[in-house]
Amino acid sequence: MNERPIGLTKGPGETPHEFLFVSPDREQALKVGEFVVYRAPVDGQERNILARVTQRQPLRLYPDAFLADPGVGPEQVATLLGYEQASPDLFELVATVIGYYDAALGDFINPRVPPRSGCPITLASDKLLAAVLSKRRADDTGAGHIGSLLSRPSGQVPVMLDLAAIASTHLAILASTGAGKSYLAAVLIEELLKPNNRAAILVVDPHGEYNTLIEMLNHPAFIAPEYRPDVQILKPDAVKVRVGTLTLGDLFYLLPNLSEKMSYLLRQVYREVCQRSQITRHDPERWTRGELIGALQKIAEDDDNKQDAGTAGALIWRLESVLEHQSAIFDDFHHLDLNRLFRPGRCSVLQLNEVDEREQQVTVATLLRRLFAARMKTQKGLVKEGDELYLPYPVFVLMEEAHRFAPAGGEAVSAGVLKTVLSEGRKFGVAVGLISQRPGKLDADVLSQCGTQCILRIVNPLDQNRVAESVETVGRDLLRELPALTKGQDIIAGEAVNTPVLCQVRQRYTPHGAESRNAPEEWLAYFAPEEQARRERESAPLAVPKRSGESKMFK
Amino acid sequence: MPITIAKLLKSTTHTDYVAQIYGSGEIADPPAPTDYAFGTFVRVPLGGNYGHLVGVIYDTMLLNPDFGNLGPRLSPAPDLAVFSPDYLAEKVTLVGIMAVGMVNATGHATQGVPPFAAAIDALVERMDDVQVRAFHRGNPALHLAYAPLLLRQGSPLILPLLEAIIGRLTALFPEHAALLAVVQDDLKWKAQIVPLGGAQ
Repeated sequence: MNERPIGLTKGPGETPHEFLFVSPDREQALKVGEFVVYRAPVDGQERNILARVTQRQPLRLYPDAFLADPGVGPEQVATLLGYEQASPDLFELVATVIGYYDAALGDFINPRVPPRSGCPITLASDKLLAAVLSKRRADDTGAGHIGSLLSRPSGQVPVMLDLAAIASTHLAILASTGAGKSYLAAVLIEELLKPNNRAAILVVDPHGEYNTLIEMLNHPAFIAPEYRPDVQILKPDAVKVRVGTLTLGDLFYLLPNLSEKMSYLLRQVYREVCQRSQITRHDPERWTRGELIGALQKIAEDDDNKQDAGTAGALIWRLESVLEHQSAIFDDFHHLDLNRLFRPGRCSVLQLNEVDEREQQVTVATLLRRLFAARMKTQKGLVKEGDELYLPYPVFVLMEEAHRFAPAGGEAVSAGVLKTVLSEGRKFGVAVGLISQRPGKLDADVLSQCGTQCILRIVNPLDQNRVAESVETVGRDLLRELPALTKGQDIIAGEAVNTPVLCQVRQRYTPHGAESRNAPEEWLAYFAPEEQARRERESAPLAVPKRSGESKMFK
Repeated sequence: MPITIAKLLKSTTHTDYVAQIYGSGEIADPPAPTDYAFGTFVRVPLGGNYGHLVGVIYDTMLLNPDFGNLGPRLSPAPDLAVFSPDYLAEKVTLVGIMAVGMVNATGHATQGVPPFAAAIDALVERMDDVQVRAFHRGNPALHLAYAPLLLRQGSPLILPLLEAIIGRLTALFPEHAALLAVVQDDLKWKAQIVPLGGAQ
């Protein structure tokens, strides 16, 4: 540890766990978010107590009049008037006590006594921080090297996420657009698929940004003896939802504004086809669109019940339109096979970029429902190897644009099952990572259920407020940093780290797939000579060859 | 060639002296009013090998023991020079001098409260431009380190005094005119605008 004191404590702060210290800080080392240490006796033992700098105020400011001429520095005026100190700076800093690290407990213990006045403050050493901030060491099973401490030179203090905590208590990645949330998510996926973790991951990718993860297959960082990760990209046309897995709620969601009578009929025929499927196929979720529509047609053609015929006909039209004509994702017999999607060491990327938003929600809802059921049944021994719902390992589902699937105040069909997974998934090994650029539009309950938060730059005040409301592990002092973070800098807090940290996300091993387009360059390219020539070539009329002997002169 | 202008009569503090300007007949070449003008830099030899005290004239007082004696006199005023020359000499000009630093025997100047005090009856010499420059020349810029000392005096004459000093220094150090202008501007604001309600 760097034993040279960097400041001296002044006194207690506003809250019981804050204190003030004063430092000249000539090396500009005491940034907001930086960690400092003081020594104090706790239960008769001298301890290194860690604290985080949360505010920094200059104590000495030049008079405004010294700043009157931009060409004359205030220090020149001060020197003229007899102040010849090399550095006049003196700062008052507010630090929040984190506590001393108890290795046996694996957590910080707050001594609950602020340091005495005049107590020397030292900068926490890289070694100490690397040892106490992260729960895991590099290359441990369950360690995810996500980046390094922002206040220290790049790479000096690695920040390791506890992936076991993420895989049980969920994760939220929140950021404004362009702040690097997809990049961070990809880094996390890379860590999950490294030889020391080998996770079973599904990425719900509504924008098709995660194609480049495929490059992990041959990257040496992911290859170990007897291990090579597997990345499968499921294009939108490969995404199938078996109609039998749709609940009545899903159908109502896909067919909004049904009349009372239509709802009644749909309920009736739905119950009927489920029961029939249970009898004939020993599974209530094996009914087909033909059976559902057939049951309705029966009502439509029933001469004894003329009054329902018209309603049934209209319902048939709407069902056919939604489940057959408009969409390619619904299928009578096939859907995404859980055992194909999930396997340790495999990352399946579900691309939904050409799928309608309501269908995306239904796809996610049915998938999560089946996944949760599979894990629950496997855990309880209700299914055996070879069964469709047999899934004998924990899984992690990372969802981009999470606000689509659990909107605040909205009624997305996926929100209910997502809440179930977030509240009960821990017991059955189903973890969810939510990624959103609009935390303000994300359901507050859903957000508060995520045990670990990675928060990148957020500028929108509504989004900042939602984060402040829902993420209690991050202090207000760190949340104030949100608008000032630059791309790739984030606040990590919650279960996966011992204390909230400001982190610089590490470089990806695989190339990034979500770069913004350079529109001006593309506009200029339109006027490039070769592009103009190509357009002229393509728009020119085809020359029709003349037949021999034909002459215009003698026409 | 230094011009002797006065002798020290007394001090009120370690830095605040009162000197009597030499009048006609007291020295061979009595000083002209320009020699003891407001803001003039003066030096007072400290004796021994201690160098000089450097001060600035910040106040002028006229002393007239006859003031208030409005009764008739036996001798007309012109005769007093013949019959009572001592009485005539009691009308003097006093100046207030604020010590702002010292120059030691080797010529090294320091600004601020000088460690040594001047003696009673010590001669006060007007400093020429070369001496004023030498007293203010710093490394690498110039020094005005006694300005805060003057400002703390609380006298209404201090702001005009500093303005006068800076005006003179600007002429002596044109290369530092911009730097001096920053201080001058602030002083002018405080002297001219703040009394009328301008923000400090």
